[in-house]
Amino acid sequence: MVTKRQLGIAVIIIGLLAILGDVVVDLTGAGRWSGFGPLQQVGIGLSLVAIAVGGILVQLGDRPA
Amino acid sequence: MTSTLSRLLKGLGAALAVLAVLVYVSYLVVYVVYAVDLFRWPFDYDQGEGFELYDAILFSQGEWPYRDNAVYPYYASNYPPLFHLLIVPLLTVFGQRLIAGRLVSFAATFVTGGVIFAVVRRRVGGWLIPLISGLAFLASNYVYQIGPLCRMHMTMVMFETLAIALIAGFEHPRHGRRNLALGLLMLLCAGYTKQMAVFTVVAALSYVFLRDIRKAVAAGAALVVVAGAVFVFLNVVTRGHWWVNIIQANVNEFDYRQTMFLFGQWFRLHTVFALLAAGYLVYELFWDRLSPYSLWFFFSLGSGALSGKWGAGFGYFTTAVAAACLTSGLALGHLRNAGDRFQSASHKLRDAAPALLALLVPLLYLVQAPRMLHLPTSGPVFGSLARVLGVADELIEGDCATFQYHDAMGYTQLGHLLTEDDYAAGEEILDYVRTADGPALSEEAMFNLLVGEQVVTNPTQLLNLYKNNLLDTTDIVDRINQQEFGVVIFRAQFYPQPVLEAIGQNYQPVDHLCMNGFYYHILWPHRICSQ
Repeated sequence: MVTKRQLGIAVIIIGLLAILGDVVVDLTGAGRWSGFGPLQQVGIGLSLVAIAVGGILVQLGDRPA
Repeated sequence: MTSTLSRLLKGLGAALAVLAVLVYVSYLVVYVVYAVDLFRWPFDYDQGEGFELYDAILFSQGEWPYRDNAVYPYYASNYPPLFHLLIVPLLTVFGQRLIAGRLVSFAATFVTGGVIFAVVRRRVGGWLIPLISGLAFLASNYVYQIGPLCRMHMTMVMFETLAIALIAGFEHPRHGRRNLALGLLMLLCAGYTKQMAVFTVVAALSYVFLRDIRKAVAAGAALVVVAGAVFVFLNVVTRGHWWVNIIQANVNEFDYRQTMFLFGQWFRLHTVFALLAAGYLVYELFWDRLSPYSLWFFFSLGSGALSGKWGAGFGYFTTAVAAACLTSGLALGHLRNAGDRFQSASHKLRDAAPALLALLVPLLYLVQAPRMLHLPTSGPVFGSLARVLGVADELIEGDCATFQYHDAMGYTQLGHLLTEDDYAAGEEILDYVRTADGPALSEEAMFNLLVGEQVVTNPTQLLNLYKNNLLDTTDIVDRINQQEFGVVIFRAQFYPQPVLEAIGQNYQPVDHLCMNGFYYHILWPHRICSQ
């Protein structure tokens, strides 16, 4: 059984990986736009939301997810 | 709250509940009227229907539709086989006609609505919320428009809904293993109906993972092994054409603006359901345990995110519609049942909560209903109704006709009823095919099938392959240059550029016919026109 804390940690990791992916796309120039394009901005926004949600879940401790 | 006021509110709530049921049943009537109109129509209503039927015909003849697109007749399917296989038995009843596939898809929408009703009723009880949850799915503009088409999308949604409903019971003390096995089978069926079901697969396995990691790993492994074995088998027997047509050809350009537009449209049309479902997801995430339904709603938005792909459209949101209708029903049921828990609270709260909820639930459904408004606007019944609702003049303009149809989503190519002029134009086009002195190169398959000819080309598939550098156009261009095709029929002209150029050099337009709101361009080879 997965707890809310474990789910929160997983969500935070996914959010951080998504931000890393956005940055890598920008550094390697893989995207169509120079700088942060609209898709990257959406990605960063959703990732920040995910990290915030994950943080709250971590606080909820060992309750079952 | 006085008992008189409480009784008054409950009475008002009952009246609103009856009104809400009538409204959603009315949507059901409109849906059936549209479906019956489509069942009579022998031609493609949506581009691609004829190709789905042709895939079923090929299966019925013991042939694979996954082929080399570079050789005559330059045809291959870009979808998995299950929907087409479901059509095969109906071909013996209806012949090689679109009604066979349209009935399968139409029935699938009712199965989906029925499963939504059953799940909500089992979880929250009562009749109003489960009934409207099921009817709401059929009332959705998206489900209405594509439900009765010979397309595989709604059949995929049916399998997805069944899968989620079954996997929700994987911990049942007696039937848990059966539920999980059947749920995995439904996921397999969904994936082999349309590839997009992968998001429901992730949702279902995520739910099992949260509750029982070992079982989730075992279930996921079993699904991968079986699905993979089927995949490899299909690829081997089709000599690699399965992989090219199903996977490589479907890698298309992506336009994020299309995704944003469609997300906004989906939300605008299904606002109350979406907000209730999202609220239920948040509630379960922080205050309760995540159910498979909330997870399904969350992951179904992922398939919506793919709607920016070239060739995609609002159909990519039909899974999200099903998930929202189901989960919103659970949310409202939970809210209503929470009101019952006020029995132990203060006297005022104990009386007020059920009365207010009896009013709130039907009111929310009535607030949602007009957001999905869609109906024909002509005829003695619908014409009058459209005038009463004030939408008689808010019609949709096709390329060459004004559709006597109103839809809250704005412009759409689907949903309107067909006219006598459409039937007449279809017969004229068929005459061109019948009298041609060579095979017809038609952008829609039914013009070939209705005169007993082989289907030549699946244009969008050719275009997909060409854009991915996977198509050799030499042979088809040679045939066009030799003017071997007796007639070319264009609509959207979704062909690879070399093919269009060759047609432009060797064929010339002889007629333009307006059918179903679109111009169909008839082209003859120069060798005929110069006679």
